[in-house]
Amino acid sequence: MSPETLILGILGFLGLVSVIATFLAIMERDLLRAVLFSAIQSTVYAFIYYLLMAPDIVLVYIPVAVGLYPAIVLFLIKKTERYEGESGENH
Amino acid sequence: MGFDYILVIIGEVLIAIGIFCDLVASIGMLRFPNFYVRLHAATLGTIGGAVVPLIGAALVAAGSDFLGTYRWFMAGGAVITAILVLMLAPAGSHALARAAHRSGAAKVFPKIADHLEEDRGGMK
Amino acid sequence: MIGLEEQVTTYILYAIPIYMIAFSLYIVRALKGPTIPDIVLAIDALTYDLAAFLVILSIFFRSPILIATAIVLALWVYSLDIYVAKYLEARELGE
Repeated sequence: MSPETLILGILGFLGLVSVIATFLAIMERDLLRAVLFSAIQSTVYAFIYYLLMAPDIVLVYIPVAVGLYPAIVLFLIKKTERYEGESGENH
Repeated sequence: MGFDYILVIIGEVLIAIGIFCDLVASIGMLRFPNFYVRLHAATLGTIGGAVVPLIGAALVAAGSDFLGTYRWFMAGGAVITAILVLMLAPAGSHALARAAHRSGAAKVFPKIADHLEEDRGGMK
Repeated sequence: MIGLEEQVTTYILYAIPIYMIAFSLYIVRALKGPTIPDIVLAIDALTYDLAAFLVILSIFFRSPILIATAIVLALWVYSLDIYVAKYLEARELGE
């Protein structure tokens, strides 16, 4: 097996994992779990950018998508409410 | 010639140990029953599966002269990453375990005894 | 006697699939983990192992500039731990 085939297979697997993680993040009712699924997707994307030989994009993408974006969303969830559609019910 | 070979062989043995620890830790992470038992697998995966192969990669990079002069940069970066993981991974998992036990987010399900919960005064 | 470069390249080439098997098992636990700390712990272990794997791959690709991404990855995932721990403790202590 040549190295190019191996790298392309790893890229396909990582793309499949990112699609699954994004789907779960969209369908999830618990917003905290949705943020963590989004963190899985960001980590997988960082690995994909690394394998595509773009280390400058990795250096920008990791602090934004793994560091700052979950911080801001977790701060907003803490200020509001955790479960989606909770205030719409009558209680 | 000889010294480079010795460095590369030692580095490859350390990488092999790291791969073994990584595989065992991932199987344990998948099959252990609750969160507090999975912490053991996470410790094996971070210290045995990340720090040890990073040291091994530093030795391989220092010994392989086909990489050019920049192999010392690669070896130094690998050692710095190993030191950072060695400091950050226990601190992070300790903070997470403390928060999980205090907030009751993870139940101790096959429970024999939980003295920390008794000391803190009460059932949740 | 096999050359040094060929030996290192072959060794890393056989090490890559075992790492990918371990990563896929971690990802399964991270996607189906029952509670919140399980998911964070799986992401944590996955990312520290990924940092080690990136260093090994940069030897495989022979490009020293790829080393810097491993340091950044290991530093920023620690912050995700601290955010989630702080969120859980603030909920328990009543803000």
